[in-house]
Parts: sequence; structure tokens; C-alpha cells
Amino acid sequence: MRRLRPYAIPYLAWMAIFILVPTIILVILAFSDLELYDPGPFAGTLANFSVFAAPLVLKSISNSLSLAAATTGVCFVIGYPVAYFLATLPEKTRHVLMSLLIVPLWSNMLLRIVAWEKVFTPDSFFTDLFGFSFDLLGTHAGILIGMVAMYLPFMVFPVFSVLEKLDRGLIEAAKDLGASDTQTFLRVVFPLSSGGVVSGFIMTMLPAMTSFVLPARIGLGRIPLIGNVIESKFMKEVLGSSGVSINEGALISLALMVIAVAAFVLVIRVDKEGETLI
Amino acid sequence: MTSRRFRRLAWKGIGFLFTAIAFLVIYTPIVVILALSVNSSVRGYSWDGFTLRWYSDLFVTDAMKAPIVNTVAVALFSTLIATVIGTLFAIGINALDKKRRVRMMVLNNVPVVNPDIVTGISLMIVFSLLSLTLGFGTVLIAHVFFSIPYVVLSVIPRLKKLDPNMYEAALDLGCSRFTGMWKVILPNIATGILAGALMAFTMSIDDFVITYFTSGSEYMNVSTWLYASISRSRGFTPAAYAYNAILFVIMIVIIVFVNTRKDKKEKEIIA
Repeated sequence: MRRLRPYAIPYLAWMAIFILVPTIILVILAFSDLELYDPGPFAGTLANFSVFAAPLVLKSISNSLSLAAATTGVCFVIGYPVAYFLATLPEKTRHVLMSLLIVPLWSNMLLRIVAWEKVFTPDSFFTDLFGFSFDLLGTHAGILIGMVAMYLPFMVFPVFSVLEKLDRGLIEAAKDLGASDTQTFLRVVFPLSSGGVVSGFIMTMLPAMTSFVLPARIGLGRIPLIGNVIESKFMKEVLGSSGVSINEGALISLALMVIAVAAFVLVIRVDKEGETLI
Repeated sequence: MTSRRFRRLAWKGIGFLFTAIAFLVIYTPIVVILALSVNSSVRGYSWDGFTLRWYSDLFVTDAMKAPIVNTVAVALFSTLIATVIGTLFAIGINALDKKRRVRMMVLNNVPVVNPDIVTGISLMIVFSLLSLTLGFGTVLIAHVFFSIPYVVLSVIPRLKKLDPNMYEAALDLGCSRFTGMWKVILPNIATGILAGALMAFTMSIDDFVITYFTSGSEYMNVSTWLYASISRSRGFTPAAYAYNAILFVIMIVIIVFVNTRKDKKEKEIIA
């Protein structure tokens, strides 16, 4: 197989172009006042850091962190038992139910968000059909429910894939050696599933933290997240309106990247080749 | 002893209850979308009775034609390209020694973990640096970029199960490298390739964030078209719900087909 190795080389070049280059550019933009389309002499500055003092940015950071933490927490509390329960079912049922968890992901994300808007609007078509509805537009609770619905499968998948492969013999062995059910779970099953749990945490937390359509729609724009700030910094620049700093957007993106890298290092520690990522 | 059995039953009950809650939460928007696709009301503020009008509208009105064609074209092309390139990359990565392989897999997984918004902005920066005009081409490259890692992740486990001596043996017995690849490696990793392709297609057809940042203001797929429509608060035709429902059914048919085919194949191998 050695002679097949060259196939991996272009991948390095590909990744350099699309990961390394933009990261360098983001760093340059974040620590200067250069424009994206106007490469001038580079003069380093820390002025862009003042963006973190803006009330709107501070508020969106705290919104992002609290909503992402809540979403991840709820997804874990619901998702782990679901993954555990599904993993104990007979093979056929298990596969059917897992497929049923994947199927909703094929519905357009924006339409799913619009659907939640309808559910959370008092007296909508939903009321006509089901006789009740919620009044959750513009609230944290509404965004939280929307996010849980959106990202819960990404907690269930990795945990399930680890639990499914778990060696049943280990559980038997623990029981034979006198462990109670609780002990078996806490000291054998859960530690062995930690790789899936870490993947699940990251696959729900990062998207929740950076989402921008969902908070804009369900939150009615009243609850900005960090994604909304980045979007406004970058897209208005591209669309040509003035007074928006792409440099500040680059700095915030870079901060997000640092968080992603930290999360990533955590994944690598438990799962070197990313087998729990899909 | 009975208390232990009772406890287990209680836990099973809790597992069942949570699973029911999970399915309820995940399926609520799906049911709403399906309901809206057959609702006579244009804005969807009330239930005005059953209709199939939006399904026929889908093939008549022009509003959605371009976004749908764009979405499907990008999904098909990017899936095809990403599957071919991703499979070759995976074969190369698998042939590396363990240390290098792990490093490459770490690199491979960066786009998987990176938030979409950061990937989108990164790609946008590269494209503007290369002064490419944002449109079909850039969206296609972007979709190929984020799909490849999923193909690699799907193919690698299959490659690991493959006996490396088989390929060497084929070459020793006079196969060309191409024939060795075509007749020995590819048939053995076919299920992984198919799974990767399916994943790539799924990611592409539903993508919003990355397309949004790499498409410019003219080129639209269904997602960015929807976003533009709702942002300008003029709403969109319910034909969008019909489109979604049709896509949904097609995807289910594909997955059922793939699964039954897999079952058959596995049975053949056992027999």
C-alpha cells in the first residue's frame, strides 16, 4: 500500500489553501486596520479589541455562552438516555429508530426555523390545527427549544455509536465481580462512552454558540448572538455599506476559532482519528 | 432482587420517555412544514383548508426555479467531485504510517469541528484574495471543501478493514496500479464510499451558512433565497414547503433503497 501514499499529498496543499491561508489573513485583519480588498502596508494595532467593550458585543457574547451552555446541557440530559435506550434495543428496531433521527435533518434548516416561528406565534395556523400554541417569540426559552430540536441528534449520534460498540462482556464482568447497576454504569459504561460525550458536546455547543438565523428569527432580533455580530460585520462590508469594521469581525471570528481549536484538542485527546464525529 | 428488577424497569421507562420527548421535539417542525405544504393560506397565519396547489405551483411559478436548479446542481456536482477526491485522499491517508495518518486525520477534521460561520468567512476571504467572482463556481468549491472530510471519515474505517496484502498481491500477479485500485480496493470500500456520498449530498443540499458567505448577492440556492425572502419580510410562496416535502420523500426512498440493498449484500456474504 506504500505506493498509494502520494494520494494524500494534494490534500495537504488543499488544506493549506483553505485553512492556513484564511487563518493568516484573519490574524492580519484582526491586528490591523487593513481592508480585505485593499492590501496596504501592515501596521499592527490592538485597537480592534475595543469591540469587546461595545455593549451589544458583550451582550451577544453572554447570550451566546449562556444559550450554548443551556442547549448543550439539555441535549446531554435528554440525549444520553436516548442513546443508551436505543443502544439496548434489538438491532432492527435500533437501526430504524436511528434512521428516523437522521431523516428530519433533510428538511431545510431555514424552513425548520420558520416552522418553530409558527409554533411559537399565538393564534397561528398551529392553533387552528392543534388547539394550542405557545407565545415564545422573542424569548430565551423559544430560542433554547429551537436549538435543542436542531442540535439534539448531534448529541445522540456520537454517544450512540460508542455505546453500540461497547463490549457487553465488560458489563457482565463488572456484575460478576459484584458491582451494582449504578456502579457498573458510573465506573464502566460512562467512562467508556466519554469519547462520544465529548464529541456530542462539541457538535452541539459550537453550532449553538455561532448560529445566527435561529436567534434572529425566533428571538425577533431582540436577543443577538455572536453569530449575528459577525454576520453584520462581514456581510455589510461585502454588500458595500460603510461604517462597519471587517477588522472587528475578523477579531471575533478569530476568537471563535480559538474556542473551536480548544474544543478540537479535547476531541483529539479522546478520539484521535475522529471516529465519533460522524 | 425484585427491587433491582423494578429499578431496571423504571430506568427503561425513563429511557423510553426521553426517547419519546426527543422524537416529539425533533419532529414538531417537520410536521409543521408538511402541514404548511398542504395549507391553503398563503402566509400561513391560519389553517384555511387542504390543498395541493403548492405542489403544482412548484412546477409552474418561476420564483423558485433558479434556486432549486442551483441547489440541486451544486449538490450533485459537489457530491460527485468530493466523493472521488475524498476517496483518493482517504486511500492515500490510510497508506501512511500511523503517526502521519493521525496527523492527517486531525487536519481532515478541522472543517468538521470548525463553526460553519468561520468556515464560510475563511472561504470568502480566500475567494476574494484570488479575486474570484462569487457565484456558482465559488459555491461549488466551498461545498466540495466541506464535503471532503465527511467522505474521508466514511471511507477510512472500510480501508482499515481491508487486508493491505491484497493490493500488493494483485500488483505482484501483474495487475496495473489502476486495475489494482479498481478491482481490489474500490469494491471493498464501496459501502463506505456510498455512505460518504450520501453524507456529502445531505450536507450540500441543506447548506445555508457557507453558501451565504460564498455566493455573493446574485447567486442563490434555496436556503439563501429563503433567507433573503424572510429578511425582507415579504415572505415566500408556500411552494417552498412543497419542495421540502418532495425532497424529504426522495431522501427517504434513497435511504430505504440503500439499506435494503446493504441487507441483501450482507446476507449474500453470509450465505
